[in-house]
Amino acid sequence: MELIFRVNGRSERLELQGHETLLDVLRNDLCLTGTKDGCREGECGACTVLVNGRAVDSCIYAAMAAYDADIETVEGLAKNAGLNSLQNAFAESGGVQCGFCTPGFLMMLTALLDKYPHPDRDLVRDALSGNICRCTGYAQIEEAVARHVEQRSGE
Amino acid sequence: MSVLGESLVRTDAAGKLTGEARYTVDYDARDLLHGALLRSPVPAGRIKAIDTAAAESLPGVRCVVTARDVPDTLAGWVLRETPLFAGKQVRFEGEPLAGVAADTPEQAKAAIAAIKLDIAETEAVGDMKAALTENAPLVHPEWKSYQPTSGEDYPRYGNIASELVADNDDVDVAFQNADLIVEDEFTSNRQYQAYIEPKSAVGIYRDGRYTIHTGHQYPFNIRDRVAQYLAVRPSQVRVIGHSIGGGFGAKLDTGLEPYAAIMSKLAGGRPVKLVNNRTEDMLTCPSRENATMKIRSALDKQGNLLGRELICHMDNGAYSGEMAFMPSVIFHLAGSVYKVGNIRVIARLVYTNTAPTGAMRGVCGVYFSAFQERHMDHIADELGVDRREYRLNNLVKSGDSLLNGQVLDDADLLRKGFEKMEEAAPWKQQDKNKKNWHGIGIAAGTWITNSMPGSVQLKLNEDGSITVVTAATDNGSGAVSMGITQIVAEHFGLTADDIVVTMPDTDVAGYDGGSQGSRTTHIVGRAAGIAADELKGMIFDVAAGMLEAGKDDLEMVDGQVGVVGDPTSRMPLGDIATAATWSRGPLSASGSYTTEPVPFNPGCASGMLFPYFPTPTYHVHFAEVEVNPVTGNVRVVRYIVVQEVGRVINPAGVRGQIQGAVVQGIGHALYESLRIRGARYLERSLEAYRLPLAVDMPEVEIITMEHPHSLGPFGAKGVGEPAIILAPAVIACAVSDALGKPFNRIPVSPEEVLEAIVEKEKQG
Repeated sequence: MELIFRVNGRSERLELQGHETLLDVLRNDLCLTGTKDGCREGECGACTVLVNGRAVDSCIYAAMAAYDADIETVEGLAKNAGLNSLQNAFAESGGVQCGFCTPGFLMMLTALLDKYPHPDRDLVRDALSGNICRCTGYAQIEEAVARHVEQRSGE
Repeated sequence: MSVLGESLVRTDAAGKLTGEARYTVDYDARDLLHGALLRSPVPAGRIKAIDTAAAESLPGVRCVVTARDVPDTLAGWVLRETPLFAGKQVRFEGEPLAGVAADTPEQAKAAIAAIKLDIAETEAVGDMKAALTENAPLVHPEWKSYQPTSGEDYPRYGNIASELVADNDDVDVAFQNADLIVEDEFTSNRQYQAYIEPKSAVGIYRDGRYTIHTGHQYPFNIRDRVAQYLAVRPSQVRVIGHSIGGGFGAKLDTGLEPYAAIMSKLAGGRPVKLVNNRTEDMLTCPSRENATMKIRSALDKQGNLLGRELICHMDNGAYSGEMAFMPSVIFHLAGSVYKVGNIRVIARLVYTNTAPTGAMRGVCGVYFSAFQERHMDHIADELGVDRREYRLNNLVKSGDSLLNGQVLDDADLLRKGFEKMEEAAPWKQQDKNKKNWHGIGIAAGTWITNSMPGSVQLKLNEDGSITVVTAATDNGSGAVSMGITQIVAEHFGLTADDIVVTMPDTDVAGYDGGSQGSRTTHIVGRAAGIAADELKGMIFDVAAGMLEAGKDDLEMVDGQVGVVGDPTSRMPLGDIATAATWSRGPLSASGSYTTEPVPFNPGCASGMLFPYFPTPTYHVHFAEVEVNPVTGNVRVVRYIVVQEVGRVINPAGVRGQIQGAVVQGIGHALYESLRIRGARYLERSLEAYRLPLAVDMPEVEIITMEHPHSLGPFGAKGVGEPAIILAPAVIACAVSDALGKPFNRIPVSPEEVLEAIVEKEKQG
């Protein structure tokens, strides 16, 4: 089966068997290993990517379901100028420790902030209910969001 | 400009934020093979046959391996008792029986499914009670034949894998003379480390040597264990580190590494990658052990403690790993916070036919503190005195000794911790103002900074930067990407951008004791300081000639060397390095460090494998909880940590360690639990094993006490673990306070909470 879609703005055309998950296609066929495989059951959120702007667990998302879709992964966040504002806020707030969950958090928050540019703390926490971070205890991730929102408001 | 105490961004942040960082699971190569393991479906059994013929002939299969194909030897951190593959006897569900390497993961899985297994299931020793029953089957009938990995043998017999006994006849006298005896029995379940990157490894056999790629907390331990399993010299194994997707103690001993290594050899040297699926990972992870403890305290009329008896049983699972040390840790903890007078400690590690347990952050301190603090509350309640006051009256002081005779020089920091806590949350006021269904708890603890050796080589580069060669690992804590980086930068007046730290490589770097026991910043930071002093001497030697000045008249400021008091004389490090390289040769220096042995009394107990408690730190926690009377759920309303840290190197890093540790502790206090039924785990996926989410967690209020340690790097001590050890303690105490009922099991489950509420209502 042929999968035609766009990943981080680039058109891709792949020949698939049909049963592959979006996660496997991103990691194995496109070598976009920034998206992580933590549990393969849609629990940990490390594999979160955006499909047409909506955050999904790519480990339980059929790749063929992304036909003609726009996919965004962590590799698409940083532009030529370097880290984007949310990534910078994570770095400065200490929102990264082991880093394995980080791509999933970034993508989930990218989806949230696109819809709600000024989320309050409860909304942020709710949005992160599908993402597990075992290192930080979440406080500095929440602070990163607040820092990002504040800096963007100042622009 | 000083970088100490600055929240510099960790050096690996950008890579982790863009997806560039490479973890072991991301390793790839054109000739990469994918491995899979056949794991025992039963907790105990006799292997009658493993028929691999069908598997071997399947497409894409490059090797099939069983116990027949590997050296006939046993391996182990403390005791040589563990086979690579079970050959005759299966001792836990999930134990490896065979391995396959194939061109694709699907082919490897298909081959595993094609292996014909004939096991006669036998009676499993399902829990510690069963193990300690008279005439219980032995998990290791051949236990007598096992040899310690190094040194003398230690107390172990039958289903007891390690035993510490500190007896004291005066304890019986104390109980005879007691006016009041307070007795408690506690239990605590297993906790899964639940790092988000499942265990994984890549093995490559080439030129007669094994190379292992793994994101691991302790590369040199992997080197040594793989060498044991494969019966080669340790130097024939090279371990290369990668970014670690979390470890929390579970990635200290070998997981998949020796399997990947042997399969590569059998597959003609092609790299073999193994990755656990989440269920395999949970079934075989060396989780925090479940434990039981009976504490009895003898008191006089005034409430003075005359004597105590403490019997602790810890579930070892089927193989010991590093667990044989743990009974000693219980012994040290027993005298580390409160005065205990005459005490008898019996701590036993018990074999069962369950997954081997292991180290998790704060090892046995987490449940020990919960048990001890609940017992303190119980005594205070019996005496009718305030819980905080009772603790203050019984705190150890500077100059007091642990039960091994080790003198605690700074134990007054415990009292200071209580004072700091009082400023943040006045106890009586908190108690008086608490709402219905709310409860509060306070607890104190002492923790170690692990003493194991570390080393650093510093190379001055011709561009003025410094490369730090070390096998120290950053498991995510920031110990290397913040701690070591900032410590080295500070010594030379450089910025973090001028420091490059290599990834661990056992062929290149000197020995390192791994990221465990809160040791890396303290030990490796100290080693870096020693290397820095030597390198600075070399730099001054060269610069003295270039500046035509006396060596003693030179100073290093902002990465430049100049004559003291003469700002015009500054010379960049790069110029000095270049001059040195082409005149006397490139400049580099090494430093090694391990904590000096602490004086102790070796006769104080038998089975003391871990003889003392190096570089202690001191801690006080407070929590307020709210119990939901309808669901039985407990919400943490407020959480405060007072933590003694020596010296803060990076505040954001310290905060991250404390917040993260507390949240793991709250998780264990309220729901994280691997339950065992019939020697099998009930929780076998992340769906079943509940982990803390952002919505669950309070923002921890953190108060750090700086008390620079004379031998620490700029005074720093261990930070990573202590904040977890008191979380279940304060939560259990606070829930008990809220409901006026003792909660003596970790985790405190909603079912138990509801039961207590119903019982309370019945009593009106």
